[in-house]
Amino acid sequence: MNWPAFWLSLRVTAIASIIILVVGLALALLLVRVRFPLKILAETVIMLPLVLPPSVIGYYLLLAFGRGSPLFEWFNLRILFTWQAAVAASVVVGLPLMVQSSRAALANVDPLLENAARTLGASEVRIFWRITLPLARRGILAGMILGSARALGEFGATLMITGNIPGRTQTLPVAIYDAVQAQRYADAHLMVLVMTALAFAGILLARQLEPPIPGRRPEQSAKAPL
Amino acid sequence: MSPRLHVDFVKRLGHMTLQMRFAIDTEILVLFGPSGAGKTQTLQAIAGLSAPDSGSIVLDDTTFFQRVSGKPFVNLPARRRRIGYVFQQYALFPHMSALENVAFPLAGRRDARDRAMQLLERMHLAHLAHRMPHELSGGQQQRVAIARALATEPRVLLFDESFSALDRSIRERLHEEIRTLQAEHHLIVIYVTHNLDDAFAVGHRLAVVRDGRIEQIGRIDDVFTRPASQQVLDILGIPNAICASVVETGPSGAVLDWDGIALEAPPLGAPPGAQVMAYLRPEDIRLIYPDRPLSRMVGNNRLDGVVVERRLGRHVHRLRVALSDGRQIEVVYPASSYATMNLASGERVRLALRKESIVVIAVHPNPPPIEEEPCLDGANRADGCAKSDPALVSPSPS
Repeated sequence: MNWPAFWLSLRVTAIASIIILVVGLALALLLVRVRFPLKILAETVIMLPLVLPPSVIGYYLLLAFGRGSPLFEWFNLRILFTWQAAVAASVVVGLPLMVQSSRAALANVDPLLENAARTLGASEVRIFWRITLPLARRGILAGMILGSARALGEFGATLMITGNIPGRTQTLPVAIYDAVQAQRYADAHLMVLVMTALAFAGILLARQLEPPIPGRRPEQSAKAPL
Repeated sequence: MSPRLHVDFVKRLGHMTLQMRFAIDTEILVLFGPSGAGKTQTLQAIAGLSAPDSGSIVLDDTTFFQRVSGKPFVNLPARRRRIGYVFQQYALFPHMSALENVAFPLAGRRDARDRAMQLLERMHLAHLAHRMPHELSGGQQQRVAIARALATEPRVLLFDESFSALDRSIRERLHEEIRTLQAEHHLIVIYVTHNLDDAFAVGHRLAVVRDGRIEQIGRIDDVFTRPASQQVLDILGIPNAICASVVETGPSGAVLDWDGIALEAPPLGAPPGAQVMAYLRPEDIRLIYPDRPLSRMVGNNRLDGVVVERRLGRHVHRLRVALSDGRQIEVVYPASSYATMNLASGERVRLALRKESIVVIAVHPNPPPIEEEPCLDGANRADGCAKSDPALVSPSPS
């Protein structure tokens, strides 16, 4: 078992998850609440990492963080071939899952409840924190867990932009690849088992959190005695 | 006392233009009309949930909305209008207990919990304060919603089909509650419904709404006895409207003469000889099994007739029954009833009009001359009062 890779993966995933939560929720809100031109284009771009080959994502990230890019030149952001680059790759691939799920959850909150809150004197900010967010929380959490699981499993783009430095930038999925290449199968077995268990737990948890599939609503208990 | 809430606005909707103009005092005004007539949009404009295209909405000396040329634009946000809005689907916050729901509008007040508890007590719900909405019955949920609306100490209370999903007995109790609350708090109440019984039970005045306009507004019995137009009559759509004269009255009931048919009716305060306008509630007319002993339920007002038409529905079936002299009566019965009876058209049936089925709408102590009869004499419609024509009004199938 490659413990440095395991701990690095956990650290990368934890930080990526926080970024995914905040940025993803903001994007979901933007898509649900704000009308703007070319919205469909923005939605498509956010979803793109779901289907692009990892090498393409890696290539874009190399461009984004490499010499000559605005992030490099203006913000002095030099993260290529550090573990922070793995965070960036994880965020990019995890974000679409978060946006998709939390966007559906936010849109599912009955506008009637928000209107009721308005007539009860609540400000828009209070309505968001007390009504919309609590009612959408299951979908938001499910999105975050799916996004995190995807972040944990990120391999292709990470390999391209972190340089696969054992002990410094080598995450668990990359370490598995390395172990197999070097025919250290015992190592690979264990790591594969750990990865599978984590992914399994993540999906299971997300499924538990997702709102039930819409269908027949339970009858209103209007007939119950007063 | 002069009216307190002045509503006068125009709003273009997809399929029609809403043109609402009315004033309302400390009273209960029923907005009655078919769905899609613009009743809910009117409430939303008053509550500030949607903005009209032009016009003004003013409560006492507070301008809620104003978009009139030459005057500054005003659109007070919903949260500053202090209007209690009770929705049809209750709209309780599902993640908060009854108490937390009622305390929601009281946020920031130190006595929020105590005050919320008082309001729940007022609505007889103190023992359910810690239940979640899904653990409450529909009637209880609506009581919580009313308590929550009252927490803002509103001057105006709006009910949007609030009780339409509830049983009649629960509705009746809530209606009493509303009338008490209205008087207690000197509230302006607007009550939207498409149920005539509800309108009678709760309202002081009635506004008949059709295609985004008010066709007629006035005291409920006035609107019924003097419908301003054929449209109003259509919308009120009362089946089985009759006019009859009082033969005798007593504490246990009255006897009416309906053009030769004696009807036992509930007690009413009218002297013998008076003309009454009434309708026979189709849900309260029973069919008599030919082969069973008569029960107390069918003790009154037995009439023989022939089925003219039967219309099946998911929950209720409707029959049109012609009496021997041609008068027709509409009967509504639960789809599960009378399964063993043959009710195809042409079959003979015996009806029993329960006393309660006779709902008196208006009383004229002295019969007015024929030409001022309130009933219209449109084809197949409200001829009930014309002595010369015994044909009973029955509604066109809707």
